[in-house]
Amino acid sequence: MIKYVIKRILIIIPMLVVVMFIIYSIMEMTPGEPARLILGTNASQEAVDQLTIELGYDRPFLVRYADYVVNAFTGDFGESWQTGRSVFQEVLIRFPTTIKLAVFAMALAVLIGIPLGILSAVKQYSVFDGVGTTFAMVMASVPSFWLAMMLIILFSVKLRLLPSFGTGSFAHYILPAVSMSCAEIAVLLRFTRTTMVEEIRQDYVRTARAKGQKENKVVFGHALPNALLPVITVTGTEFCGMLGGVVTIETVFSINGVGMLIYNSILQKDVPMVMGCAIFLTASVMLMMLVIDIVYAFIDPRIKARYTRAAKGGKASE
Amino acid sequence: MEDMTKKTVEDSTPILELDDLYVHYRSEGNIIKAVNGVSLKLGRRETIGLVGETGAGKTTTALAVMQLLPDATARIDRGDILYNGESLLRKSKGEMRAIRGALISMIFQDPMTALNPIKTVGAQIMESLTIHNYEHKSKAELEARVDELLELVGIKAIRRNEYPHQFSGGMKQRVLIAVALACQPQVLIADEPTTALDVTIQAQVLALIEELKEKLGTSVIMITHDLGIVAQTCDKVAVMYAGEIIEDGSVEDIFLGEHHHPYTVGLFNSIPKLDDESNRLHPIDGLMPDPANLPPGCPFSPRCHQCMEICTREHPAITYQKGSHRIKCHLFAGGEG
Repeated sequence: MIKYVIKRILIIIPMLVVVMFIIYSIMEMTPGEPARLILGTNASQEAVDQLTIELGYDRPFLVRYADYVVNAFTGDFGESWQTGRSVFQEVLIRFPTTIKLAVFAMALAVLIGIPLGILSAVKQYSVFDGVGTTFAMVMASVPSFWLAMMLIILFSVKLRLLPSFGTGSFAHYILPAVSMSCAEIAVLLRFTRTTMVEEIRQDYVRTARAKGQKENKVVFGHALPNALLPVITVTGTEFCGMLGGVVTIETVFSINGVGMLIYNSILQKDVPMVMGCAIFLTASVMLMMLVIDIVYAFIDPRIKARYTRAAKGGKASE
Repeated sequence: MEDMTKKTVEDSTPILELDDLYVHYRSEGNIIKAVNGVSLKLGRRETIGLVGETGAGKTTTALAVMQLLPDATARIDRGDILYNGESLLRKSKGEMRAIRGALISMIFQDPMTALNPIKTVGAQIMESLTIHNYEHKSKAELEARVDELLELVGIKAIRRNEYPHQFSGGMKQRVLIAVALACQPQVLIADEPTTALDVTIQAQVLALIEELKEKLGTSVIMITHDLGIVAQTCDKVAVMYAGEIIEDGSVEDIFLGEHHHPYTVGLFNSIPKLDDESNRLHPIDGLMPDPANLPPGCPFSPRCHQCMEICTREHPAITYQKGSHRIKCHLFAGGEG
């Protein structure tokens, strides 16, 4: 088991190197000379050439890339072209805000989506189910930025209940988290319902009933744990998706997180900053995936057995 | 519930009796007539074989006894199910839960899917025990009983903390038998307990059920389409076709009796014989009628070689009776037996 976890952590390193290459290549393809971008259109050609050499941009692409990777692994992601401040520092300051927002939104999605999904499945074809699935369909089709603006109009402008921008207090997180979570609620509701409906029809559920078990214990003790296994995976991937979704929501609500930073950096063509943000988000996604896989291996005896058995030398008992 | 625990009922009354049972499924405007007037008496310590093709209504009959028919679609339209002389259909859900697993148990068809994949086998046997732990036995006592049950079905007790995926099909079937027998039920319904297993394991499982029957005095309903199993294990046989019992009697009646329903004859002929010169099997021609659209007369008439004019018009009643042997067929309407 430990061997498996270590293996999974080590795999992250080459994956990150590849991701860096992709992002680096894309940034390379964007038009504009870095030194010219920094100094502006009025700067003399001499000054631009001078800065190009200083930045190391006179060297070939692969050399610069290798240099970037080596520095990145020591925590040096270069300096912002706009402010001259350390990219690593800037991202690090904003990262907790983004994570807080994503976790809050995901918690909402999990706490609302999964129970509603279970209810829809248990009361299949009832009013609950109808309302639940219709709600999910609507929520899945509403773009989060539009919803965000509608929520601002209602709760901030009309009712004056909640702030529409910034991150001062807990109240500031409510609207952005709600608008981010709606689509995720829909995804989790529908997915939980599907897996739950499937599990309720399984033979082992009938076996449990045949033992004389109470219906709610049959549903929550037998069907639910089995249904939740795939839901955990989806929750994880949705969380990762959310880390990408912060860009729009942070922009709409003027939240000073990584999403906002990446958005502004793109507008200002601040290449090191964009790179830094993208790599940070990618690394978080990878870590999240790792956590899901480990959690999964711990709670599903079938998967756990596969790894412990593999460690023992691949001998199956059957 | 009170009367049930009293052992006042005489030994001669059947432990389980189905009286003219009709179970129909309703789906999308169709009425699927799965069980049509099944009457059956299961005596104490008796094994009755329920034989018939797939779709004959054997499993539906079993699920009706367990009251595990799907609520949304299935309904018992007529008839009654009596356990120890008491109607199960009039029991509340709570009363029925106290009976299920404790007094009447069922072994399901497919052992591969009938166990919860994420619970240990020990926990799944334990569940049966804790649900019906009316004597408030301690946890240690129950644990000991789980070990005992595992050993009883031929699984080492140390494997109790293993998960179903670590067991083979035959072993899973044994676990299911242990689950079903945990509370020493009076009636065991075994729904094709050996279909999913290979031949050597089949023999083991059957021997096990037989052994347990002797030890615990359980009555068994053996659902199968394998006449070999019937000959081996059953005291009585009921042949089902299209939701009806078309012939029943003792094992001797069915295997050695002079008259048979043409369907029973067909069933026996379809067993391949070692001394047969022919290269082909002898199946019964045609298919079971669609239970949503049964023929007006005898349900077997479209496939019957001895079909007469009356068979397509009139549903046959019991026309032949000799001792315990009964047949529903117009062929014997002439007053034989």
